[in-house]
Amino acid sequence: MNKALKRRGKTVVGVVLTALMLFPVYWMVNASFTTDANLRKNPPNLIPIGGTLAGYRAVLSQQLPYLSNSLLIGLLTVALTLVVSAPAGYALAKLRPKGGGILSFALLVAQMIPGIIMAMGFYAILLSTGWINTIPGLVVADSTIAVPFAVLIFTAFMSAIPEELLQAAVTDGAGRFRTFWSIVLPVSRNAVVTVSLFAFLWAWSDFVFASTLDSGGGNQPITLGIYHYIGNNDQQWNAIMATAVVASIPATVLLVIAQKYVAAGITAGSVKD
Amino acid sequence: MNNGSQTLDRSVRGRAGAANDAPASGRARRSRNRSSQLAAWAFLTPLTVYLLAFYAYPLYRNLDLSLRDYTVYSFVHGGAPFTGFANYTAVIHDPTFVKALVNTLLFTFISLLFQFTIGMALAVFFAQHFPLSPILRALFLVPWLLPLIVSASTWSWMLDSGSGVVNYGLHFLGIGPVNWLTSPSWSLASVIIANIWIGIPFNLVLLYSGIQAIPATLSEAAAIDGAGPWTKFRRITFPLLRPVSAITLMLGMVYTLKVFDIIWIMTKGGPVDASTTFATWSYRLGFGNLLPEFGPGAAVGNLLVVMALIAGLVYIRVQRRQAA
Amino acid sequence: MHTDSFRRALGAGLAALALTASAAACSTSATSTGSSGSSAAGGTYTIWDPYPQLDSGSAWVQLLTKCGTEAGVTVKRTAYDTTALTSKELLAAQQGVSPDVLIVDNPVVSTLASAGVLTTTAQTHIDTSAVESNILAAGQINGSTYGIPIGANTLALYYNKTILQKAGVDPASITNWATLTAALAKVKAIGKTGITFSAIGTEEGSFQFEPWFWGAGANLTSLSSSQAVAALSLWTTWIKDGYAPNSVLNDTQPDNWNEFAAGNTAFSENGTWELSAAEKGSFPFGIIDIPAQNGGNAPTPTGGEFVTVPVQSNTSRYATTEKLVACLTSSDNAYTTDTALSYIGATSAVQTQQGNTTAALKPWITAVQTAKGRTSDNLGTKYPKISEQLWTAVQSALSGSASPQSALNTAQSAAQNAIG
Repeated sequence: MNKALKRRGKTVVGVVLTALMLFPVYWMVNASFTTDANLRKNPPNLIPIGGTLAGYRAVLSQQLPYLSNSLLIGLLTVALTLVVSAPAGYALAKLRPKGGGILSFALLVAQMIPGIIMAMGFYAILLSTGWINTIPGLVVADSTIAVPFAVLIFTAFMSAIPEELLQAAVTDGAGRFRTFWSIVLPVSRNAVVTVSLFAFLWAWSDFVFASTLDSGGGNQPITLGIYHYIGNNDQQWNAIMATAVVASIPATVLLVIAQKYVAAGITAGSVKD
Repeated sequence: MNNGSQTLDRSVRGRAGAANDAPASGRARRSRNRSSQLAAWAFLTPLTVYLLAFYAYPLYRNLDLSLRDYTVYSFVHGGAPFTGFANYTAVIHDPTFVKALVNTLLFTFISLLFQFTIGMALAVFFAQHFPLSPILRALFLVPWLLPLIVSASTWSWMLDSGSGVVNYGLHFLGIGPVNWLTSPSWSLASVIIANIWIGIPFNLVLLYSGIQAIPATLSEAAAIDGAGPWTKFRRITFPLLRPVSAITLMLGMVYTLKVFDIIWIMTKGGPVDASTTFATWSYRLGFGNLLPEFGPGAAVGNLLVVMALIAGLVYIRVQRRQAA
Repeated sequence: MHTDSFRRALGAGLAALALTASAAACSTSATSTGSSGSSAAGGTYTIWDPYPQLDSGSAWVQLLTKCGTEAGVTVKRTAYDTTALTSKELLAAQQGVSPDVLIVDNPVVSTLASAGVLTTTAQTHIDTSAVESNILAAGQINGSTYGIPIGANTLALYYNKTILQKAGVDPASITNWATLTAALAKVKAIGKTGITFSAIGTEEGSFQFEPWFWGAGANLTSLSSSQAVAALSLWTTWIKDGYAPNSVLNDTQPDNWNEFAAGNTAFSENGTWELSAAEKGSFPFGIIDIPAQNGGNAPTPTGGEFVTVPVQSNTSRYATTEKLVACLTSSDNAYTTDTALSYIGATSAVQTQQGNTTAALKPWITAVQTAKGRTSDNLGTKYPKISEQLWTAVQSALSGSASPQSALNTAQSAAQNAIG
């Protein structure tokens, strides 16, 4: 009885904390219904009275292609990230390569280069290869945000896989590739989900690369769709915020579904001993 | 030079990985090693190619930009004279330098301190399963999904000195309007607050998953020993979370040092240089002006990389000492 | 077994490599942009513009297509964010893939010209004779002209008729700084905000300050003159006395407009482009030209873009490009474009046509006629360096970090250093 009460008390505290945390998000939703004339009203409207649906109408009529581009870019980024980083994580964790140390250090450094510097370099690379303003070009650039992180996660996770499991596979006559493919990868499912989720979210919300590398073509992601409402001399804030609200729905769904694995995935290997 | 992740996993796995080095004699062992090396590098090939193709060039280019005296003309047509460290000297003697350095350090450390502390408190809180806890925890991650341009703009409305809802709320507490974004003494605090908010979900996810991985038997044992919640946290949770905390802080630092969008959208680094960090300064030099100054912009960017590098080395050092 | 496992591992690595390689192979066959692709006759001509808000259904894009058809080529249009366009073009020129036609903000023209990226109108035979000389000046450096303006805009003061009526202010009485400040005091007395402007730490901040700076008789080559101090003191006093909100330090021009549109502010320093928004607004408005310190109209800076022709390795393309540019800037087409963008025409023909059809544009036409290019007076690429110091001084004085005099002293010595 007392314990149930205590648990309920925690729920109340949790709800209050969540409300506090999400207030800016509420404010964004509020702005998505506000006319531009009321945006700077003093005192502000706490709820969207006399609101407008113009923002949402604009989104539904203009933004759907951008959303599907973003989805495609996100998924391809996930695929590229996994292909590059999962084998590397396995090698660094289990095969103890000579020079692996230098490689890991290079990854650490890579992670520190500010996006805008990377973007300028990429612009030159993509211009000369003709990949500017294309989806593959942006996918490659977006994956650079996630790859160093992904290798780190995979290495940490895979090094916690018991050596006996791999030894058993080897005595069964499985080659290293088969060991990797049919034992290491399935066991690392949580790490795969975690890496995928992070890679997807980073690609989904990337703006620096998109605006530098893809702002000219017909394949633009949603962050640029938002930016089109910020014109040279005018800004349609309700449309911007409505787009953000709509765009965050698929990402939220994904996050809620993936939550379970993420919790187990990121650091499961790191705490054991 | 040792590597981060290997030291890291060595520290967390103890010596469990020793099986791989199981004694084998002479030639067999050597040939096994060679094949193992080849296999390892076969697995590493995609990553190596990827790193060389996509990281080396931007980095080389930025280095080159910072070591030459580029004008817009030589940027296009080539032939910029090599000037060694002249851009770096110029940048270091710029009146903005000290301000930007102090701001970068303050921004990074205060953000990290609060993001980590709040993230940890929430992770511990959500780890005690109570009704609705999974859904509330998921909701906490929503800020992470918003494009930065949107969340930063939202914060700048909320903090607007005239029509902002924050000042509106303070008014009911009898506090006069604060010029959050436009006063030299508040603008840095404002961007830090927004950045903490944006960083909490990342810290929460990592730390929560770390807590999940602590064997339940350990805390049960502590509970039987009669340890209170605080003792339990201090004696069990926190020490066991040390490796996870280290990754979280390390990644958090790398990402915070680079933060540019939030500050640029909210204050443009202003008023004057009150909220300028190396990241925004580098951007302002290279892009925020009608006449780009590529050389100094690249030099500031490289100083940022050096700062992160030093922190990375310190991290590896600490890791190694813990492992030893 | 070992060799076997090695082969498998190697296979995996090679598969990944092949993926990268085939991707790279793909890229060479992909179409390249810009000049390198097509021959002079027919083919595709690329145009970059800073109007991402205009989508493919807009009159502007239809005009581009039409001009392309008339010149017998296909037009490929790409819209970029205006702040990104300078560095984009510099990078593109470096890689030898500049567009055929580039439409850029006028103060950028001198920067791109000094980078050797733009052709002169003499080279491409573009006729600029009809363009008003004060507007064309922004594109002229050392006697050469590097483009042709598509239209122009500038700043004036919008006012809220309802508020001025309540405060008992007759807009016609505002003829100099003293009468304007007196009007702001009356507005404050009825509990409303006097004026909003944009003093943000970017080029926009300088753009908005220049009418006051020039209106005091100051010159951009001498930032710390007593006239300059007078102009900065005017803004500083307005904030200190509560006539202008503190948020101006962080407001862009659209922000400052939103504040005005909320209906609590008497004046907004803003541009032609807000005219259609004002007409849709909830209160009656009027426009006055920005007064100079001692009466008369202050010179305002010209805004608006230039149509330029970047240098191509294949010079035979210029002939077709000239046709495209002539089509875009012909009177009829410029009229359509300027109407769509809420700009004032750059030629007297377009200005007359606009004045005849839309009476509300008349104050703007006079303002544009007396406006002044930011990079003119042969400042060219010195302007960006001076401007950066100017907006820094404005920020520093308005935030209270320094007095107007000392802020401008710092700015002057920094600008002098930067120009060298």
